Amino acid sequence: MSIFDGLKFRKVHSPIHNLDPRMKFIYVIALFVSAILFGQIIPLLALFVLQLPFVLLARVQRQWLRSLRGAAFLAVFIFVINVVTRFFYSGYVLTGADWEYSTAMSLRFMVLVESFSVFFLTTSPDHLGLALEQTRVPYEFSFAFTTAVRFVPVLAEEAQTIMDAQKARGLEMEKGNFMKRIRNYIPVLIPLIVSAIRRSLELAEAMESRAWGATKKRTNLYALKLHRGDFALLALTVGILAVSIYVYLFIPVPTLVQLL
Amino acid sequence: MAKFRKAFSTKILAEIITFVALATALSFVTFTILPQGGSVTAGSMVPILWLSLRRGAKIGLFTGALYGVVQLVVMPYAYNPAQVLFDYPFAFGCLGLAGFFKKWPTFGVVVGTTGRFVMHFISGVVWFAPMFAPDLDPFVYSAGYNASYMLPEMVISVVIIYLLQKSKALNIYL
Repeated sequence: MSIFDGLKFRKVHSPIHNLDPRMKFIYVIALFVSAILFGQIIPLLALFVLQLPFVLLARVQRQWLRSLRGAAFLAVFIFVINVVTRFFYSGYVLTGADWEYSTAMSLRFMVLVESFSVFFLTTSPDHLGLALEQTRVPYEFSFAFTTAVRFVPVLAEEAQTIMDAQKARGLEMEKGNFMKRIRNYIPVLIPLIVSAIRRSLELAEAMESRAWGATKKRTNLYALKLHRGDFALLALTVGILAVSIYVYLFIPVPTLVQLL
Repeated sequence: MAKFRKAFSTKILAEIITFVALATALSFVTFTILPQGGSVTAGSMVPILWLSLRRGAKIGLFTGALYGVVQLVVMPYAYNPAQVLFDYPFAFGCLGLAGFFKKWPTFGVVVGTTGRFVMHFISGVVWFAPMFAPDLDPFVYSAGYNASYMLPEMVISVVIIYLLQKSKALNIYL
C-alpha cells in the first residue's frame, strides 16, 4: 500500500510548503500537459528530473521515494503490457523503438504520478481547501474532495487489516474458481462497509460539532496572498510550458534509437 | 444567523466522503492492468453502486463524479482534456444511474456499469483508437478494449451487490 504514502501530508516548513497552492496546482497542470505532449524518452526524462529540486527543497525525499516505489510496480506493468501488445501488433518482432516506446509510456506514468504526489506532499489539506474556496469552487465539493483524498490511506489500512483477520480465521482468498473467489470476498466486504459507515457517522458528528455549514458565507483567519516565491514559480511554469510547446511544434524530438 | 441551505445533510456528505475513499482504496487491489488504463479490480465500483442504491440517483451521480476526480488524481491516464472529462467524472458519474433502480438492485448495477462502459467507449473511439491502433476499426477496438475489463468488473459488481442485498447489508444504519 506504499503508493498511498504520496497522499499523506507531513507538517514541515520549507520554501515549497509555503508556496501558494494555486500556483503549485498550475505548475502541476503545466507538467501534466507537457508530459502528455511527448512520447519520447528524452523530454520525459527531463520533466522527471525537473521535479528533483522541488523534492529536495521541500525535504520530503523519503516519502517521495516510497510513493515512487509504489508507482514503479504499476509502471512495470504498463511497460510489460506495452511490450507484449507491440510484439503482437508489429508481427512478432521487437525493435529498439518498441522497447523505447514502452519505457517512455511507463516514464510518462511516473511523471504524472510524481507531479501529483509532490503537490500533495507539500500542500496541507487546510491550504488546499482554502485555495479551492478562494477559486469559488462550492465548499461542499472542495471539502468532500480533500477529505476523501486524505481518507484513502486510512481505509486502505483498514481493508488490509480485515483481510488479514479473515485470512487468520481460515478464509481462502487465492483459491477456487471465479465465482468462489467472489463469494469468499463477501466476508471481507461486509465488515469493511459496516466499518466505513461507522466511520462516516463519526465524521458527520465531528463535522456537526464544528458547526459545519452553519453560516452562509465562510470566513477564514488566513487569506491567501501571492508572494515573491509564487511569482517565481509562475514564471517557471510559463517557461516550462512555453519551451515544451515550442519543442513540440518546431523541433522534431529524436528518440534514443535514432541518436545511437 | 441565516441557516445555510445545504445540498446534502452532513450525514450524507460524510457517507459520500467515506465511500469515495473506500472505493479508491479498493481500486488499488487489482488483478490486471491494461496498457492504456482500465483494470479489473476487487470490486472497486461496489461502494459507489452501493451508495447510489442506498441514497438514490442524485447523490449517486455526485459521488461517482467525485470518485472520478479522485481517481484522476491517484491514477492519471490523461491524453487530452476532453478525454479526461469523459474517462473520469462522466464515466464514474454514470455509476450513479444505478440509483434510479432502487427496487431492482442487480438491474441498477447493470445500468450503472453499462453507462460507465458507454463513456469509456466514446472516449476510446474518439481519442484512443487513432492514437494506439490506427489500423483497426475504432469501434471494434474501443468496444473490445473496454469490454475486456468492464465485463469482468460488471460480473463481479452484480454478484457482490446481489449477495449484499440478500444479506440485507444495503440499508444498515440508514
